[in-house]
Formats: sequence, structure tokens, C-alpha cells
Amino acid sequence: MNFFQAQNKARHNTRLLTLLFIAAVGSLVVLTNLLVLVFFVDSQPGLSFTQQIVRAPQELWIYTSLGVVGLIAVASGFKFLALQGGGKAVAESLGGVLIHQNTRDPQQRQLLNVVEEMAIAAGMPVPPVYLIREDSINAFAAGFGIHDAVIGINQGTIDLLNRQELQGVVAHEFSHILNGDMRINLRIIALLNGILILGIIGGALMRGSMFSRSRDRGGLIALGIGLLVIGYGGTFFGQLIKAAVSRQREYLADASAVQFTRSSQGIANALKKIGAHSTGSRLESPQADENSHLFFGAIRSFSSLMATHPPLEARIQALDPNWKPNKGSSQQRSSTGSQGGAASHFAGQSEGFSERCGSANLASAQQLISSADESLNNASHDTFEARALVYAMLLGADEATRGHQLGLIQQLAEPGVPDLVPTMYAQIQRQDQQHRLVLLDQAVPTLKEMSRPQYERCYDLIGQLIVADGQVDLFEWVVHRIVTQELYAHFVQPFRGSGRITRPGKVDKQICQTLSLLAAASSQNDNQRLLAYQRGATLWGSRSAMMDVQYFDHQVLNQSLEKLRHMSADLKAKFLDACAAIVAADGQLKNGEFALIKGIATTLDCPLPPLDN
Amino acid sequence: MEMIIILVVLALLAFWAARIYNQLVELQNRHENGFSQIEIQLKRRYDLIPNLVETAKAYMSHERETLEAVISARNDAVAGLAAAAGNPGDPAAIQELAGAEGVLTGAMSRFNVTMEAYPDLKASANMAQLSEELTSTENKVAFARQAFNDQVTEFNTYRSSFPPVLFANMFGFSTDAALLEFEDSQAIQAAPKVSF
Repeated sequence: MNFFQAQNKARHNTRLLTLLFIAAVGSLVVLTNLLVLVFFVDSQPGLSFTQQIVRAPQELWIYTSLGVVGLIAVASGFKFLALQGGGKAVAESLGGVLIHQNTRDPQQRQLLNVVEEMAIAAGMPVPPVYLIREDSINAFAAGFGIHDAVIGINQGTIDLLNRQELQGVVAHEFSHILNGDMRINLRIIALLNGILILGIIGGALMRGSMFSRSRDRGGLIALGIGLLVIGYGGTFFGQLIKAAVSRQREYLADASAVQFTRSSQGIANALKKIGAHSTGSRLESPQADENSHLFFGAIRSFSSLMATHPPLEARIQALDPNWKPNKGSSQQRSSTGSQGGAASHFAGQSEGFSERCGSANLASAQQLISSADESLNNASHDTFEARALVYAMLLGADEATRGHQLGLIQQLAEPGVPDLVPTMYAQIQRQDQQHRLVLLDQAVPTLKEMSRPQYERCYDLIGQLIVADGQVDLFEWVVHRIVTQELYAHFVQPFRGSGRITRPGKVDKQICQTLSLLAAASSQNDNQRLLAYQRGATLWGSRSAMMDVQYFDHQVLNQSLEKLRHMSADLKAKFLDACAAIVAADGQLKNGEFALIKGIATTLDCPLPPLDN
Repeated sequence: MEMIIILVVLALLAFWAARIYNQLVELQNRHENGFSQIEIQLKRRYDLIPNLVETAKAYMSHERETLEAVISARNDAVAGLAAAAGNPGDPAAIQELAGAEGVLTGAMSRFNVTMEAYPDLKASANMAQLSEELTSTENKVAFARQAFNDQVTEFNTYRSSFPPVLFANMFGFSTDAALLEFEDSQAIQAAPKVSF
């Protein structure tokens, strides 16, 4: 299943969940109404229960129903508001502490490196990492989409797991992000909170009326008990649904983790260590309960029906068929082959391009990161130096422009930064474009640690550096796209594509424009350009002729993409396939083509794993 | 009917209060996270200073007092940092750290002035590298401090703006967070440039 199918499925499941929830609220309304009727309608002798119901005053119906619906709406709304902060809010409510990108703690550094590799391997923004101070082995991912996702890791996880195992756990969390599980998870939390409120009110009513002296005392207590039963009963069934959904997703995430790391050993060994560890994956924090389905391992031991995670043994066996549960020394054994279970099902390169989105290319990512200059890697992790790195990337090739740009930096950047830029420029000259963009990806989470005024100053300067030579080239365009998409979303306002455009005809002009641009970047030769364009247009299913592209006009491209980002997941997948067809037409990936594809994927919120040339 | 209207109004009020609460919590978390950014850089600075003094000792044997003053100011600052890091929301701890940092900066600038009298020391490659690293760390401290202060200001402004100020006390955000101002922050920038 690729990224787009997963997103579609997640949307579909969310809709299903909402329907289920409406049904649940409906039955709660009916039950509460019946309850109220039983206690408050004066029973008249000689009438059957049904007749009494029919005779009940209408206001009673209306008030009770409105009350129940209103309560649930308010309680769910509250929770939903609290969750609007996205993954950050969840991590902080669990007591998570942000790990800074320039941490000097070797364990934390390793963890950040593993997360960064995985993010670049999956072609998505590097998520912030929060540390939870608990000694058990566990981790979670939370957020609405790939742009506000965060990863949380327990102290015990980084203390007890080695790098390979850590990688397995992190890969598992990333697949939750890419499979769109987090959005569903957050919805479930909010909705369950709504149902639970009835039970809480029932409990309060019961306890309160125990001490009251009024004549209705007995009735109120009974009503309280009734509400308690309805509320907690509803929550119980809600928990069952949540647990069932969650168990499914866990198997899927385990399988994807194997696919990402190309090894089943890391994650299998991590699970074995949980089994052998005294506190296992349990969490102390009471806030963890409502988020239990976000975690890597089960946070409490439940009976199998209520469990949010499949049993450890079953998960390990799915990953490592040779493993036998063996009390005592079980954690010592492991399978010998590194390509176990799901890894062998990993499909080759022959699939469509969009198939690759939502998978990960770990080897390429590691290679890309490690082949960069050590000092540049360090600079990308330091809030202070990361800015100099981005500025240095944007320096022009000719002396005059560069002089002008350095003057701008001198004038507008904070003290100390202008001195760093020239040395970094020298180092960055030795990196090719793909490496530079990886460095930019690495720098993004670091830049998010600036304050708002610092961001504004930096963003303003980036803009000025880009237009310093009076034109915007492809590389400058993609840098601007990434910085805007990630930093603007973080500091000002995140953008969420609506997915409303489902008919290809509606965006034919924009598609044709973008494909023409890509074709123009693919070759110097007019015939080859036309050939490449036709390949892409055929895949998309458009008959529009190729547009004449004299030069790279970033404004036209941005306008087109502004519309295209509202396409549904299916159309995005098709569009990316068409783009890839153009790029692949002459069998080689040029710098301009790569920059365009990267910028397009970033703008459309699609993860783009590193491409092999 | 009136009851429904009252209920709706109450619900809206509750939503509104919840939003304010969430915003307050978010801004508080943000500046507390910002403090740990300063902590990383200050720690780095405190780690560099003993190396610097160690290198200088070989050349400046007659300046024991200056060197000891630097080390003792550095140790005080380390303690102040530990206290402030434990509770970045506590204005007293932040004041304490700012004071200790001020003393350390003073001691460092005296050290720099004294160093000018020892050309051999200034010329030593080791010393040049350490000074360079110290300067860049001080730039980073200044930058992280700026970010922290921006975040604190944002929190304080929001806390005391009109609707939130009604709720802030109730939600337990009764005091403004303290800015981290170093008395001699200009000197940090200027210190390495002193010359006779």
C-alpha cells in the first residue's frame, strides 16, 4: 500500500468512524430518554409503558435529547481543541521534553540521527523528538499529518536499545505517520472523551444526591446510576472499537518498519527486549491512558479484547517465524537472516513512481547524510549556524551578485552570522544539489527552534538573497518552497490541502503547464522535450498540447501548484506518476528535474524518498 | 427555550476559556523549551573556560588571582544554571543566573585585558582556537537568549492582554516569566576585541 492509498483509506476509515460515532450518540440519546421517562413520568395505573411514553410531555423529550447531544458535543469539542495543537500538544501533555537538535548527550544525539535518517529516507520533514522520562521501553507518534507530526521516546528506550533496535522502533512510528493512523487516533481520543462525560456526570449526580434530602433523592440516585452505566458502557464499547482498530494498525506498522529498514531483526529484538524488561512497555503517567493506542508497545496489560496492541509473542512471531516463545532465555534467540518476513514481499522498482511514496530508502538516506561534510552536518543541527548554512546555499555563482548578497547578510543578519557564511560557502560548493537539499531538510527542524521575530528576520533575508540577482532559478525556487512550506506552516499557519478536487478536467490547464515546465527542464532538444511531455500527458490522460516555455517562471508554477495542492490523493498520485514519466523519458535525472520534483512533492504534501540515479 | 440559549452561551464561554488555557500552556512550554537551548550553549561555554584557564596557566603564572576569579565565577555560574534549568519559570532563579553570568563576564573581560600583556600566549595556536570557539559560543548564547526573551515576552504579553488576564490567575499562571538579561551583554560581544 503506498502513501496515497493509505491516505485514502485513512480518510475512508475516519468517515466510517464518524458514522459509528453518530450511531453511538443516537443510541445514547434513546437510552437516556428512556431512563428519564422511567423516573419522571408519573405512572398512571392502567396504562402500558408504551402508552406512557407516547403521553410524555414533548419538552421532556427535547430537553433530554438536546442535553445529551450538547454535552457530548462540548466534551468532544474541548478535547478536539486541546488536540488542535497537533502532535506537540499530545507530547507535552504526556510530560515530554523537546530534545534540541544541537544536544550534546550522545544517546540523544544518536536518537536524533536515527530519526533524521528515517525522515530523509521516507522523504518527509524531520519531526521534532520528545523525551518522556519513564524507564520502560516505549515510543509514540502523534499529529495530524506529516507536517505537524512529532515522535516521543521513553528514556528507557534509548537506555536499553542499541542503534539497530532503535531504528526498528523509529521506523514503526514513521509508518504510523505515513499510514495516516495518527489522524484517526486523535479523532478517537476526542470522541471517546465525549461519551465518557455522560458517565462522569452520572457518577457526580449519584454521589451528589446521596447527601441530598429532597424527596426525589431515590430517583436522582437511580438516574445517576443509569447515566453512569450508559456513559461507561458507551465508553467500554468505544474502547473495544479503538482497541480493534489499533491492533490492526500495529501489525501493519510492524510490517512497514521491516520494509523501511530492510531488516526484521531490529524491531523483533526491540520487542523481545520489552518482553524481558522488568517494566516492559508500561507507562506510569495517567495521561497515557487515553493515548494508549499511539504507543509502540502496550502501556497496560489488558485482556485480549481490550488490548490496544497484539500480544508481544504474536508480533515477534510475525516478524521472526523461527522464534519460539521460551520463558527465560527467549530474548537470546533471534533469526539469522536479516531479510525476514515482510521484507521479502517488498516490491522492486518496476512499480509506478507514486508507489514509492510512503516507503523509505534508508540506505540512500544514510549514504546521503554521511557523504556530506561533517562540519556541514553539525552546522545543520545548530540553530545559530543553520541560518548561515541556508544563506550560503543561496549565494550566487558570479562575483558581483555574491558581493551584493554578502552585503545584505552583513546588514541584516545577527552578529556572528556574516563571519560564518564565507567558510560555509566554500564547503557547500563541494556538495551537489541533492546533497544541498538534504542539508536543508536537516536544517529545517533546527530552524523551527528560533523565536518568531528571529524567524521573520531570517525569512526576510532569505527572500532578499533569492531575488538579489533579479531572477529566481530552479534551485532558489525549491529552497523557497521548502522553507515556506515548513517554516511558514510552523510559525504562522499550517496549510492543509482540502482534497476537494477529484475531477482531472478541473485542473487540466495547471497540470499541462507544470508538465510542460518539467519537460522543458528535462532536455535541451525540442523533439525530446515534446516526446517527454507526451509521455507524461498520456499518463495523466490529457490531450492538451505542450505549452511553450521560454524561461522558468516561478510565479506561474506557484499559481498552478496553489490549485493542484487541493487535489484528492488519487489525482496527486497520478500527477506524480506523470511527472516521473517525463523525468524518466531520457533515462537520467538532471539537477533541474530533481529540484522541480522535490518542490512539487513538498508543495503537494507528498513524501518523496531519495531517488537513485 | 431560555434554558437552551443559556446553555449554548455557557458552552461557548467554556470553549473560549479552553482556548485561552491551551494558548497559555503552549506559550509557557515554548519558553521553557527555549531555556534549554540557552542551557546547551552556556554549558558549552562553561566547559571551554577551564580549558582556556589551563592553557593560560603555563604563561600567566603571576596572574593567579585573575585566573582564580575566572574559575570561581565560572563555578558559581554553573550552579546558577543548574538551579535555573530546574525551574525556568521561576524569576528568582533566572535573576540568580543573570547575576552569576554578569560576574563571570566581568572576570572574563579582566582576563582578556590581562592576556594582552602576554604576546606569546595570544600567539599560541591552542589559545587562538579556544578564543575563537569561545567567541562563537558567546554569539550562540546571545542568539539563544534572544529567542528565549522573545518567547518570554510573547507569553507575558498574552498573559496580561485583556481576555486572558481574567483567567490567567485562575489557571495558575499568576506571575510573569522573567527575561534573562545579562548586565553586561554588550561586553560579551565586545570582549574579544579589547586591545591596548
